[in-house]
Amino acid sequence: MKKILVSFSVAMALVFSLLASGVMADSHTAKVRVVHASPDAPAVDVYVNGDLTLEEVPFKADSGYLEVPAGTHDVEVFASGTEYAAGEGVLQADLAVEAGKAYTVAAANLLESIEFVVAEDSMEVTEGQTKVRVGHLSPDAPAVDVGVIGGDALFSGAEFPGITDYAELDAGTYDLEIRLPDGTQVLPLEGTELAADTVYSVFAVNTVDSLEVIALVDYEAAGSPDGMPTTGLGTPDQSQAIWLLLGGALVLIGASTLVWKKRFQ
Amino acid sequence: MYGKNGFNNKLLLVLVLFLLTGCQQPVDEVSVRSENVGFTLDEPAAVTIQQPAPAKNPINELKRSGIQPTSLKIPSIELEAQVQHLGTTENGEMAVPNNIEDVSWFSPGYQPGENGRAVIAGHVDGVDGPAIFWDLSELQLGDEVVVQDKERTLTFKVHTMESVPLDLADVSQVFGYTSSPELVLITCSGTYDFDRGTREERLIVYASLTEE
Repeated sequence: MKKILVSFSVAMALVFSLLASGVMADSHTAKVRVVHASPDAPAVDVYVNGDLTLEEVPFKADSGYLEVPAGTHDVEVFASGTEYAAGEGVLQADLAVEAGKAYTVAAANLLESIEFVVAEDSMEVTEGQTKVRVGHLSPDAPAVDVGVIGGDALFSGAEFPGITDYAELDAGTYDLEIRLPDGTQVLPLEGTELAADTVYSVFAVNTVDSLEVIALVDYEAAGSPDGMPTTGLGTPDQSQAIWLLLGGALVLIGASTLVWKKRFQ
Repeated sequence: MYGKNGFNNKLLLVLVLFLLTGCQQPVDEVSVRSENVGFTLDEPAAVTIQQPAPAKNPINELKRSGIQPTSLKIPSIELEAQVQHLGTTENGEMAVPNNIEDVSWFSPGYQPGENGRAVIAGHVDGVDGPAIFWDLSELQLGDEVVVQDKERTLTFKVHTMESVPLDLADVSQVFGYTSSPELVLITCSGTYDFDRGTREERLIVYASLTEE
């Protein structure tokens, strides 16, 4: 299984400018979510291009997808509450994101050697199927496989720090486990329900003695029309026609009043 | 009495002129009302970070279930409407009710309450005047939008409103995936484009789910 460790330059950015403009009709945006996966790091504040964008993000939390303008953004991470000073963060990267794509940016490893792990997320899945990938974000854990208990591995040889490619599967319930390549179970994930039309990321985090899992939904598929609805039945023409009718009626009434008056003079 | 008739004739002339002038410059109220609308929540508060609840199998706690809405209420503009469940028209547009008092939920898309943008559309005007979404442009930041089915009531709060030219509207975004439940309300806005047979813009209101 190919390990994907995207370099700093590949991806990422955050909001603010986006939230401020609020224009979702603009198609030149990317989706980015941030995951705190550094077990001994405190809660963090994330600054994008110098603006406070995420506040008090604790270990194991994720931001959900934020829509950000495509382009390169200066992303800097500070221990929560620290005053911002450019270049002084515990972690900094210039991250580039492309329009229409989605990214996960994880702050991984122990605090003393904290690093970004970036991956591009899938926004599509074959109808009726499910898609899943795993991330090895446990700094001191060995390489692992993820597979069906007593059965085949779905992902082999995942190493820190890396996020695998996606595997597309039939939707359903799977008895999964994280195990060492020799078959020793590290963490059971029995009765895992993988829903149709849904894309998942499952990240193993924390140190090996207290290994645990963060699960995220990357995408759920649904229908979309080709065009916006036509939501007005009226036209200025029609209101004009109504004016004409009304006007005509008044003229008639006025004229008939005249005639009426004349007849009775 | 001749003089009086002459006065009446003048009055009539003035009246007719007035009406004719009125006809030549009809006030297109929809376009006036939607001329300067738009706002968005200008705080990072829109991003809520939730510590995932501890669970036996965290993967199974992820999916949110939605509803198939039957009614829509917006208390701030005293709106109550039945919700039809419609898909697309023959030319692929989102379908809308053929009356002016109902609204339609795009049922092939996301359900209200699921992650993603559930979309409800309604007419702004009918042949004779205002329709169900006439006052949509009056909505303010934080106004509540309530959708219901037989069992559940979901309350969303308005966070963004914009009036977008049709050519710039990114349909896949408006109907797209988000990692939290959103409700989108759409109606027509802008000036009438006689060539296209529809108004030039769409008023789009975005709201996010408040906890049940």
